[in-house]
Amino acid sequence: MRNKRAWFAVPYVIWMALFVVIPILIMAVYAITTADPATNEFVLTAGNFTGMGLYLNVFLRSFWLALLATLVCLLIGYPVSYWMAKEGPRFQRVAMALIMLPMWMNFLLRTYSWMSILENNGLLNQLFRAVGLLDLLGVDHIQMIGTPGAVVLGMVYNYLPFMILPIYSVIVKLDGSLIEAARDLGADSPRVFRKVIFPLSLPGILSGVTMVFVPAVSTFAISQLLGGGTQMMLGDLIEQQFLGGAYNPHLGAAISMVMMVIVVVCMVVMNHFGEGEEQAVML
Amino acid sequence: MKHSNHIGGRLFIGLTFLFLYLPIFLLIIFSFNAGDSSAVWRGFSLEWYSALFQNRLIMESLYTTLLVSLLATAIATAAGTFAAIGLYSLSRRKRDALLVVNDIPMMNADIVTGVSLCLFFVAFFQGWGAFAQWFNGVQGAVELPTRLTLGFGTMLLAHVAFNIPYVILNVAPKLRQMDKNLVDAAQDLGCTWMQAFWKVILPEIKPGIVSGALIAFTMSVDDFVISYFTAGSSTSTLAMRIYSMTKKRITPEVNAVSTLLFLSVLALLVINNVREIRQEKRAERQEVREPSFFEKLSMKFNQPAYRWVRRGLAGAMACAFLVVVALLTGATSSQPVVNVCSWGEYIDEDLITQFEDETGIRVNYQTAESNEALYSLLKSGGADYDVIVPSDYMISQLMEEGMLEELDYSRIPNFEKIDPRFRNLPYDPENKYTVPYTWGTLGIIYNANMVDEEPASWGALYDDANAGNVLLINNSRDALGAALLHLGYSVNTTDEGEIREAFALVADANRRGVFQGKVMDQVFQKMEGGNAAIATYYAGDYLSMVDNQADGVDLRFVIPEEGGNWFVDAMCVLKDAPHFDEAMEWINFIASTEANLANMDYIWYASPNSEALERYPAWYEEEYGEELDPELYEIMAVPADVLERCEMYTVLPPATRSLYNDLWVQLGT
Repeated sequence: MRNKRAWFAVPYVIWMALFVVIPILIMAVYAITTADPATNEFVLTAGNFTGMGLYLNVFLRSFWLALLATLVCLLIGYPVSYWMAKEGPRFQRVAMALIMLPMWMNFLLRTYSWMSILENNGLLNQLFRAVGLLDLLGVDHIQMIGTPGAVVLGMVYNYLPFMILPIYSVIVKLDGSLIEAARDLGADSPRVFRKVIFPLSLPGILSGVTMVFVPAVSTFAISQLLGGGTQMMLGDLIEQQFLGGAYNPHLGAAISMVMMVIVVVCMVVMNHFGEGEEQAVML
Repeated sequence: MKHSNHIGGRLFIGLTFLFLYLPIFLLIIFSFNAGDSSAVWRGFSLEWYSALFQNRLIMESLYTTLLVSLLATAIATAAGTFAAIGLYSLSRRKRDALLVVNDIPMMNADIVTGVSLCLFFVAFFQGWGAFAQWFNGVQGAVELPTRLTLGFGTMLLAHVAFNIPYVILNVAPKLRQMDKNLVDAAQDLGCTWMQAFWKVILPEIKPGIVSGALIAFTMSVDDFVISYFTAGSSTSTLAMRIYSMTKKRITPEVNAVSTLLFLSVLALLVINNVREIRQEKRAERQEVREPSFFEKLSMKFNQPAYRWVRRGLAGAMACAFLVVVALLTGATSSQPVVNVCSWGEYIDEDLITQFEDETGIRVNYQTAESNEALYSLLKSGGADYDVIVPSDYMISQLMEEGMLEELDYSRIPNFEKIDPRFRNLPYDPENKYTVPYTWGTLGIIYNANMVDEEPASWGALYDDANAGNVLLINNSRDALGAALLHLGYSVNTTDEGEIREAFALVADANRRGVFQGKVMDQVFQKMEGGNAAIATYYAGDYLSMVDNQADGVDLRFVIPEEGGNWFVDAMCVLKDAPHFDEAMEWINFIASTEANLANMDYIWYASPNSEALERYPAWYEEEYGEELDPELYEIMAVPADVLERCEMYTVLPPATRSLYNDLWVQLGT
């Protein structure tokens, strides 16, 4: 009977090959070639990779800002998940719904809402002006938009739910008897947290970190809207090569490949410390 | 876990929610604002809601978003469930290997998925084109389309591709938890496999399917990046529309559409929650209740005698679904269409409606950000435009690469009215490819209240005195062009040393923090709102900014002493455009004096139509009952002596172009 159903997997395997594996292979082909300007034919080259040193700063900035955003998400997301799991079931359900709700508004709408707040003449600066803070400092406005801070803020705002959901879903399923056992054996609260709850919630943390870090490191919309185009990130660099001002899909593909490899290596190393990332995307 | 009401904990959760929701509430509040500011409250009004329902571009993109999300969710849920069952019939080793592949789209950054799918589709289309040509050649019975482009179909495939893994990941654990013997038992008791599937497996894994579908839908609605790379030119989701609007002036219609989306999702959640709470209470009370009408109906259907009814119904539903899909795709293809790509806020939108009413041709109007971005779009094979409106130097480049089609001037009688000054220009010496759309100059726009003295020289852009208040124009040609002018070189120089010197000037200023940002159409809201003091931009756009400037902002325009750049944007048709006839009608319509007057009034760029140019001041007086400020008219239609100080861009040789590209990408890195 088992084998009778095995053919169910065949269309899926074909699909995955067609829409996941082959596209990445094509991208790899682009990465190691360049178009001959005269004939438009692909010529093998390593130039896309060797010339990447120019963009070292973009790589560093992307990984640094994404790391910062991930950290802030973790610092906010973990306590929220932890305290949420302690509440009653009705509170939890409403809270979960409230965390999911903004995701049904497209993330560009959410980013846009910050633009009007952070502008030099935006809501926040007007508030500062009204309370006299700007006069106190003797400045016309406080520069917020177009700074790295604004980009990190946008990332945290957009990706925080991706940190809370996996951590919460792990904590809420923790076996309460383990905690009781730890208490019975004489552990005080901080110790219970350190020795029992935190280690057991590690899989949730790891998947949360993955789900925040990966989109953050590759974003281009957030850095363009809130970074004002001066905080160039890897995503901007790639977008420019495909749909932006500098058309060179070969270089774009090469940068994408490098980014993909670095991210995968990071994830493998991280997952080495803890197992199970499957809870990541489950409700 | 133990329940305890920890005050500090609740406070922290509350603050987090405040952080999550405060921006959304502000967005909602300003959707009711009477003015079009997103920062200054000018009284309550519903004008943006009525504007929203009349804004075809936003409404269409909203529809596209919902359609692609729902279809992708439905397909991915069915396919993913099916695949998960298949996976669980495989040996453990094979299954684990496949699950690793399954993780790829989720682990990968969106942009990598989007880029790789885009390249895949384009490669497939090229292969398909060759195949279809060969196939059409060897037989005459079936005519295959040879030209496929990115569009709704490819976007849907991409959405399904990234949704399936989420469905599998949610269904798989339920399959794992299921007692394998249940299916055997059902079959031993006489069920066919199908019956066992419907009655045993499906109810067991239903929670997994539901949550998988929910996640898939969420991901689809929330997606921007993958759609952006796979949708091509003819369709836009709401996110893509907003992204292109953020490059220009965002109107509070976006706030209105966000509010409506937010409220409808909120309503769904509340209803769902209330229902769940009721169910819980019922379960607590162990209430035995009468089955509802639908439950009775379904019990009845489940009797074997109704099997044929069931199958018939399922078949009918599948047919209905196919018909709806066919209608949706068919409805758009039967009507004649013309695909136009222009710049943001570069047309009086009433003209589109007027053209559609007069000719019955549907206009699919899209915008690109800059000449360079348009070029990328065309090269990547993602665009299926008929008419484009590039600038002079880009026209030469496109012609050079054989990307433009010769026009049929016998069908554009209005070309006669184009002023001789704007015919046979260097970019199209024999005038075989182009009909001018607008012309104008590039200069410095500044806020007189934010600078100490008039920036009479391009040097003001790089001056520390204006640090943090200068907006650098975000395209290499204009940004480096201004620097070249300041250094006393030609904007068309091919001397690498001169270009590098100009770049060093810009890069150095960038390093010193002189620039607030690199912007194209975002310049509107920045300058109008008094968020920046100096920008390089086009004269026509300056005039429309003056119209919209906030209180306390005093915008002025100047062509610096070193001279400036003057340009012509002209309508061209792309090689092998699928709707050539419709394109001719559109070009002729836009070249008419009436359309030129309307456009001039709306976008404030000077018209190349001599009748319109001459008549405009009188027309303005008639329309608004006041005289047109001659100073403004001079900025729009520059007098000959000023025009002489300006230089037109010519196309640069490929080596210089790639130098421009390389330098430009390095800026800000």
